[in-house]
Amino acid sequence: MLVYLKIYRYNPEAGRNVPSFDTYNIEAEPTDRVLDLLEHIKGEIDGTISFRRSCAHGVCGSDAMRINGRNLLACKALVKDVGNEITVEPILGLPVLKDMIVDMEPFFDSYKSIMPFLVNEDVPADGKERRQSPEQRERFDDTTKCILCAACTTSCPVFWADDQYVGPAAMVNAHRFIFDSRDQAADKRLEILADHGGAFRCRTAFNCTEACPREIHVTQAIAEVKNAITSGGVEY
Amino acid sequence: MAAPSTPLKNTVKGYATYMGREGHYAFLLHRLTGLGVLLFLTIHILDTATVYFYPSLYEHAIELYRATPFMLGEIGLLFAVIYHGVNGLRIAVTDMWMPKRWAIEKQRKAVRLTLVVAILLWTPGALVMLYNLLLHNFGVDLLAMLPFGK
Repeated sequence: MLVYLKIYRYNPEAGRNVPSFDTYNIEAEPTDRVLDLLEHIKGEIDGTISFRRSCAHGVCGSDAMRINGRNLLACKALVKDVGNEITVEPILGLPVLKDMIVDMEPFFDSYKSIMPFLVNEDVPADGKERRQSPEQRERFDDTTKCILCAACTTSCPVFWADDQYVGPAAMVNAHRFIFDSRDQAADKRLEILADHGGAFRCRTAFNCTEACPREIHVTQAIAEVKNAITSGGVEY
Repeated sequence: MAAPSTPLKNTVKGYATYMGREGHYAFLLHRLTGLGVLLFLTIHILDTATVYFYPSLYEHAIELYRATPFMLGEIGLLFAVIYHGVNGLRIAVTDMWMPKRWAIEKQRKAVRLTLVVAILLWTPGALVMLYNLLLHNFGVDLLAMLPFGK
């Protein structure tokens, strides 16, 4: 099938200082991924097109982009699902450096702000490992799946308007530790997220949950964080 | 150097072009109806204040509100108040007491149900307002035209 591909271009190094679109008509299979089309163009037609990709199998989260107006991973978006007229743009709300490549630093700064690591100063009871029941592990299982692709955060209307908002991805990762029975810093994280720019900026537009390529219940995780803040803590 | 952009530009672009699902459009409608109600309340407080300070201006304002565009606007305002309230309840109840209902299929249904409930609640009031508009501004008595009417 013939695919009409419209790609966002911005490359100040090559004199393209004003964002614009390039269009390509290429042959593709319905089962091709949008990433395959981008690689075909970069390899065979125009080598100056820039985008991030690494594993190309929906695990690394490098190739989140806006495809036909919706945040998707290019490696998981099939031509048959998005149609034969495809518009590819960078994710919205982070500074665009070149074509589909955005500056992820503000995103990772928000991620780092919620202490995304296990905090436990005690020595384990058996001196080796900190045990937890299957039920305790299940409590935060969903939020362990995040791959930090930023599809959720950059689909959020609150994040578009306020880059000081920590965003859904940071809260998903906060949830992963807040509800971990082995962790001892839930109170600190809840304090951070109770602040301006934290959980209560969420307006439940639900774009994050719809955009998540790992099908994490993002809005639910944020609601649980809000409830933990209002109830004063977490029961494991 | 990053491409020129501002939070305002991103917001306008996102609101206008992001192809979200039901939740996205519920959010936009919630914002729109909220701003509409806020605008009305501001005007309402200002015009009511004139009763005391400038009664003739108040009379003029009331005269304006009886004009057809304003009366049609009031019918829209009624929908804005009802939708904003019903959707706000959906969000508050789910967020505070039923966070597990923040699941894709449940929320898509809940958003559609919210819209249906808002329209059902709005319809009787809208019909009464429309009846009065036609009667007072155009001399058309809809009730008299019905076979079982006056």
